[in-house]
Amino acid sequence: MRSVIILALILVTVALIGPMLAPHDPAQIDIPNRLSAPGAEWVLGTDALGRDILSRLLHGARWSLGLAFLISIIGLIVGTLMGLVAALGGKLADWVVMRTTDTFLAFPDLVAAVVIAGVLGAGTGSLIFALTVTGWMRYARVARGIGLSLKTRGYVVQARLAGLSPLAIARWHYLPSLLPSLTVVWTGMFARAILGISALGFLGFGVQPPMPEWGTMLLDARIHMRSTPLQMIWPGLAVVTCVLAINLAGDALRDALAEQEHHA
Amino acid sequence: MLSVDRVSVRRGANMVLEDVSLSLAPSRTLAVVGESGAGKSTVINAVLGLVPCASGQITWNNAPVGLSRPALVMQEPRGAFNPRMSLRLSVMEPVTARGRAIDQSRLDRLCNGLEIAPDVLDRRPTEVSIGQAQRAGILRALIAAPPLVLFDEPLSALDAVTQKHTARLIAQMQLEEGFAALIVTHDLGYAAAFADDIAVLRAGRIEEVTASKAFVEAPQSNYGQILRDAAFALGALERVA
Amino acid sequence: MIRLIATLFLRAAVVLAGAALATFALLWHAPGDPALAIALARYDAVVPSEVVDLVRTNAGLDAGFWKAFQAWIGPLLVGDFGKSAVTGRDVWPELLSAMSYTVPLALAGLLIGVSLSVPLALLATRHPGGWLDRCAVGVATIGAAIPAYWLGLLLILLFAVHLGWLPAMGARTPAHIILPALTLGLGVAASLTRILRSGILEARGQPFLPAFRRRGVAGRYIERDHVAPHAAIPVVTVFGLELALLLEGAVMVEVIFARPGLGSFLVNAIEARDFPKVQAVVILAALLFVSVNLLIDLIYRTLDPRIGEHDA
Repeated sequence: MRSVIILALILVTVALIGPMLAPHDPAQIDIPNRLSAPGAEWVLGTDALGRDILSRLLHGARWSLGLAFLISIIGLIVGTLMGLVAALGGKLADWVVMRTTDTFLAFPDLVAAVVIAGVLGAGTGSLIFALTVTGWMRYARVARGIGLSLKTRGYVVQARLAGLSPLAIARWHYLPSLLPSLTVVWTGMFARAILGISALGFLGFGVQPPMPEWGTMLLDARIHMRSTPLQMIWPGLAVVTCVLAINLAGDALRDALAEQEHHA
Repeated sequence: MLSVDRVSVRRGANMVLEDVSLSLAPSRTLAVVGESGAGKSTVINAVLGLVPCASGQITWNNAPVGLSRPALVMQEPRGAFNPRMSLRLSVMEPVTARGRAIDQSRLDRLCNGLEIAPDVLDRRPTEVSIGQAQRAGILRALIAAPPLVLFDEPLSALDAVTQKHTARLIAQMQLEEGFAALIVTHDLGYAAAFADDIAVLRAGRIEEVTASKAFVEAPQSNYGQILRDAAFALGALERVA
Repeated sequence: MIRLIATLFLRAAVVLAGAALATFALLWHAPGDPALAIALARYDAVVPSEVVDLVRTNAGLDAGFWKAFQAWIGPLLVGDFGKSAVTGRDVWPELLSAMSYTVPLALAGLLIGVSLSVPLALLATRHPGGWLDRCAVGVATIGAAIPAYWLGLLLILLFAVHLGWLPAMGARTPAHIILPALTLGLGVAASLTRILRSGILEARGQPFLPAFRRRGVAGRYIERDHVAPHAAIPVVTVFGLELALLLEGAVMVEVIFARPGLGSFLVNAIEARDFPKVQAVVILAALLFVSVNLLIDLIYRTLDPRIGEHDA
């Protein structure tokens, strides 16, 4: 748990403070100095319009990390609610929710996100919608699974006998037990959202220029692969670093939970 | 009074309970005995409405039994408490769920009677002994003063000394509170010593319902005889009585 | 068992119907006038409103949602994917030719993934926690964090631009498949290695294996008869996941390498707002996905007798 909190703090700090550390205006076009090599003035060089790459990366963190955080949290809320409705709402509700979940799982999710974002028209709104619609199902499955196993647990039966309302039971007895596992799922979905945002950006369906977003930057850099190959390295490296850090924290959290379960 | 009238419970194609009839007057104790798999726990689940009855009905004073809000003491004391909460929060659930205020003097009196030290309630279920947890479980069952309390193997998770002690405490609390007790147990010695009547359950059917003194002397059914003789042979019948 | 299979099939059918409805609803509610978009795509000029109206009627866009849905789903059930909104030609032949590029790419990617991950997982689990194991886990973890589009660009940079060994763009020669397949395969290998490794370790940790060893059953028989089937279960279940990875990977990889195929077909169709084509790809992907998952479900239940019919 601690590793995840520390990680979340670091990433949030980068997203918040990053833009302040940027040495240049990320939108400042400087044609005479376009595609310049890394050096004292431009630490990571400049892009095809002469914009400072480091500044764009730092500002891009706000897009990539901030949007990914938002998307993964919306998915968490929607998915958990769906899962709890399935687990607590009786057979019919369970059937309807689970078949809906299966239906949304029937598409390879990045393909679905590309189609949704592409059809709705490029923009941040459709990007968020596309990645949220394709990103709530795993939460629902986990929440339902744990919810069903809790249903026959002694203290949940006691709470029902005591006359506690379903909402109160969900709040006091289900959510606290769900939270650790859902946090593990969340780390995975956070990483997935970062990958999704940059993938859509790279395909041209995501955050629109001139906003600095890592996937869009990669798309721009691709054209100048031959002359300035390094330009292509930085945004990718940023994505990989974030995803790797999140995945590692998720693994650590999962192991810690397994340990805890083992001793309980 | 509790009336279980020709109740059958089905699980899939199997009959778990068949034509079970029982009755229990206020302040009295009825023990349901039988071997594992006889359907003892299903009797409790049916009374609590946790499993639906395929036929028959269960009432308290001619009204659906749920209206009287019966309470349950479970076999596994720790599992009956949310591991993330203090015992106090769980114990108070039957009162707070109904939006009522906590009656401190009643709580103190019950704690006193059940020999629960004041600080025990502020711990988590994993931080107290099994015996303490089970007494807290009884406290939760009694806190809202239900007219009917069900006990599902209330002693089987406890060690021998704690068993005896807990059995006495339950009997004592019943004298003070006057609830009707339906106890499901495989421990004939406990049933004979503390229950007014004994119902023998076998493969989902009631073999006999006999006053417990009479049962120890002469069970009416063959199966009752076998159960009693086995308990004698094990020394279980004299042990508590 | 028959009842179980029937339930699973019925469920797959319900899910497919839902998927079809969701797809159609999304495209129906897409912003903008689809008739105008089609007219523009078709005639590539300022079009008078009569032409737009004609297009609307011809494409069945004025019929209302359920009518239009029926008009689409009816022929689809007998395998007719409809006509392109832009060219007016049948979608199916174009789809087929796109698949003739994507399927070999996916298979080659899968082959590379499996032939890298299986030996790696076996080597790694020989001494769990040893340096080889830790290296394998490290590489796989890093690999799983690298998005296909970046890996593809890096491979192009190294093998095509820098070394000049391999062709990168298009699909003219058989050698053109190497870099895209490698991109896909490395991604598959990364996730498969992790899953295989933990599957093998879990299978070796089964409580009854030490008893076999004490009784003198030879190690290779234990591996073959007890460890391998047990390790196969998680592998089978993640195969659906791998398929998703392959499909998604193929979309990205085809765009990066400018290869014809389903990915380019889809992206071009979206950009041209040629919805019949988009629908065809999406439904095809869903059909493939649902059938593979159905198959996995059935295999899973035969491999693991502990999964009862009640878990359906």
